Amino acid sequence: MTLARPLATRLFPTATALVAALVLAGCTPGTTTSDASGSPVTGGTLVYASGDAEPGCLDPHVGGNYPQALVASQYLETLYTKDAGGKLIPWLAEGSSVSEDGLTRTVKIRSGISFTDGTALDAAAVKANFEHLLVPKTASSTGYLALGKIDSMDAVDASTLELKLKSPDNSLLESFSMPWVAIESPKALKRSQAENCAAPVGTGPFKVESWKKQDSVQLVRNTGYVLPDPSAGHAGTAYLDGITWRFIPEAATRYAALQAGEVQIIDNAQPDTIAAAEKTSTIKHLDAPRPGASNRIELNSSKAPFNDVKVREAFIHAVNINASVDSLFFGTAARSYSPLSSVEPLAYSEDSLFGYDPAKAGELLDAAGWNKRDSAGYRTKDGARLSLTFPVSTSQSIPAEQSLFEQMQATAKDSGIEIKINLLDLSSWYGDLAKNNYNLVSAPYTKVGPSVLAILFHSDSTIPAPSGYFANLSQVKDPSLDALLNTAGATKDEAERKDLYTQAQKKVLEGYYLLPLYNQQNHFLYSSTLKNVGATTAVATPTFFDTWLDH
Amino acid sequence: MSIPKPVLSAQDPLLRPLPAPPPHPGALSVRGLAGNLPWLACAAVLLFFLVAAIAPNLLAPVDPLAINPTGAFSPPGPGHLLGTDESGRDIYSRIVHGARPSLLIGAAATAIGLGLAVVLGTVAGFGGRWLDYGVGRLLEVLFALPGLLLALVFIALAGPGVTTTVIAVGLTTAPGYARMIRAQIIAQRASPMVEAATVLGRSRARILTVHILPNALAPLAVLATLGLGQAILWAASLSFLGLGAPPPAPEWGTMLSSGRTYLALAWWMTFFPGLAIVLVAAASTVLSRSLKSAGPR
Repeated sequence: MTLARPLATRLFPTATALVAALVLAGCTPGTTTSDASGSPVTGGTLVYASGDAEPGCLDPHVGGNYPQALVASQYLETLYTKDAGGKLIPWLAEGSSVSEDGLTRTVKIRSGISFTDGTALDAAAVKANFEHLLVPKTASSTGYLALGKIDSMDAVDASTLELKLKSPDNSLLESFSMPWVAIESPKALKRSQAENCAAPVGTGPFKVESWKKQDSVQLVRNTGYVLPDPSAGHAGTAYLDGITWRFIPEAATRYAALQAGEVQIIDNAQPDTIAAAEKTSTIKHLDAPRPGASNRIELNSSKAPFNDVKVREAFIHAVNINASVDSLFFGTAARSYSPLSSVEPLAYSEDSLFGYDPAKAGELLDAAGWNKRDSAGYRTKDGARLSLTFPVSTSQSIPAEQSLFEQMQATAKDSGIEIKINLLDLSSWYGDLAKNNYNLVSAPYTKVGPSVLAILFHSDSTIPAPSGYFANLSQVKDPSLDALLNTAGATKDEAERKDLYTQAQKKVLEGYYLLPLYNQQNHFLYSSTLKNVGATTAVATPTFFDTWLDH
Repeated sequence: MSIPKPVLSAQDPLLRPLPAPPPHPGALSVRGLAGNLPWLACAAVLLFFLVAAIAPNLLAPVDPLAINPTGAFSPPGPGHLLGTDESGRDIYSRIVHGARPSLLIGAAATAIGLGLAVVLGTVAGFGGRWLDYGVGRLLEVLFALPGLLLALVFIALAGPGVTTTVIAVGLTTAPGYARMIRAQIIAQRASPMVEAATVLGRSRARILTVHILPNALAPLAVLATLGLGQAILWAASLSFLGLGAPPPAPEWGTMLSSGRTYLALAWWMTFFPGLAIVLVAAASTVLSRSLKSAGPR
């Protein structure tokens, strides 16, 4: 090789420079660390890197998904929220009461708070927001569903809003705590939807300054901020000058940007990087499981082979979820045995139903008539293979989860069950659901409170919304379950509510309509130069009012 | 009646043979083993992957789909030569078993690209002025679009999958080949041989099939080997984007894509499939250049 020497000679200065750079880079973290007990410093811009899809609209009233909630939690506030202990507390509202028949709810609105465009917050402003959410032109999905029971409303005086309900709804205050029902300036809502999407106006500690599409949203401190509940944080305005909200979809790039100090906090952190970061002192971890449903796989009971409960039960015993969760999630996710997230106080777990037991799966399948095998080793019945179609939306599942599905596919094969995984983009995925072209599906659903059970398992939810989406993907249609959910959502008695929701959860678990996996994962990694991180909204999106940067 | 073939005088100074060009560094030669080393190495690489594609179990008896969650992310070592992936599957076995889809995609895509190019090139080169003009503009339009974009548009319309990937890559590479074939045909058309055939009153079809195509297509063998490496790269790129073989198929581009998530933790998940792609693409390129230098110009 004649090239070797000159090449090496040419590369030598570069290599030396690279080594020097690495050594220098290795030194920097040591100089910036300091103890967390220092006093807050005002100033500096936080750079946040999101792995979620960039929202098409910054107003979470429109549509209503988690990426919107993440960014909107910085500039919009809600009527209610949850404190650090998970207790529902009034925020922009001062309190609320409900009539004896449960059909009239009165909400008291705080005074002395104004939106960043100068408009004052009052009952009429809240009414305008609810109207904005309920009018079809807004195309709200999450917020619209949450307020579905409202029949009419009336701003009695500046601080009193009276809501007339179609039927009693004991989850209304929980719904009020979600960013999808956040309160915006009524004056700003009157603008065109495009204008409002680009820069919604709220009462939050930051406000939207500019939005460079496919790059970042620039947020700046709201200099007129008033903390609704003075016990909830420091007095005055936010410590940070602003937040640069960047979009970095690639997980490895996002983590590298955090390591390099280019950004100070990332979301959608991958399990392996969380495990690696926990060994360092420069990167910290915030685990904020989302409320509402657990992350689960729904078994489509509307068609063969899952219209037979025996086959559903057999499938659940044929897959080894625990082994995969242990190896793929590096101890960052705990196995769930409940339809609800573990942060929901009313979650009911039943682990005895979900053991990995291929022998039992075999017996059940034999009993169900799937007792012959084809040349590939899969079970057959009347000449048809036991084959399950599993559309997976690549934008709604992290790589570790897709690997878990692949491992599920491999273990199910041992029991003679074929799983066909189709990795799809979001619109093709919705298409498959609309065409009922699935046997298995995993779809996240975030909502505050156990009323999410009605959205996921009530037979009404098998009827597609105008958008074509329906949330009852296991397609349970059980009149007794419907009745349970209806009563549970209307009762005023907290103990009865708990009992009814427990019965409902038992019913869907024992019917093998779903295979719970773990909580909806919501992990953040942040630089140790960022202090006082950890406050979140009721839907577990972080807020940065109390956060400061240690320069 | 037959016309005697013209006898060309060897004394004619115009017909004196040119001195042989210096052989290409990697060209086939009789200089012994040392001179042929790059060529032999490339041939060995291709042979290995060819055997892998035809009889993968011969080289890697371990099931490429067998999972073992407790043995996930094992580094390369005695138990697993090239380590294991996130599901504890053996990377070496997956690379060997992945040779078939990867090579097949490459070969089939090249065949489609060349087949289409022969038709387009012949129409343009032999079909007369207007057809030449029409095909020429069509090729220019196709050239104006970046190759990968063209493939992506096709996949977006036809849906992802192995067959679609093959056709998409074939379509993408066709315009380049078509231009070369057109040029070859035009060159052949002006050759004395074809002039003679025309003078002798041979039909256009016969001139095309007997005289022009065999001579115009000879350089294609070289192009095809060169294109193979390119096509494998394209196919890997599309699989990397999640548009190729569905999971858990061991396809190189797909392996590369799933490995990149764990780049910081398990470099071997990305490195070895990447190495396989580089080796095959580089080997077929070097080999085709050797063929080109050794074969007819």
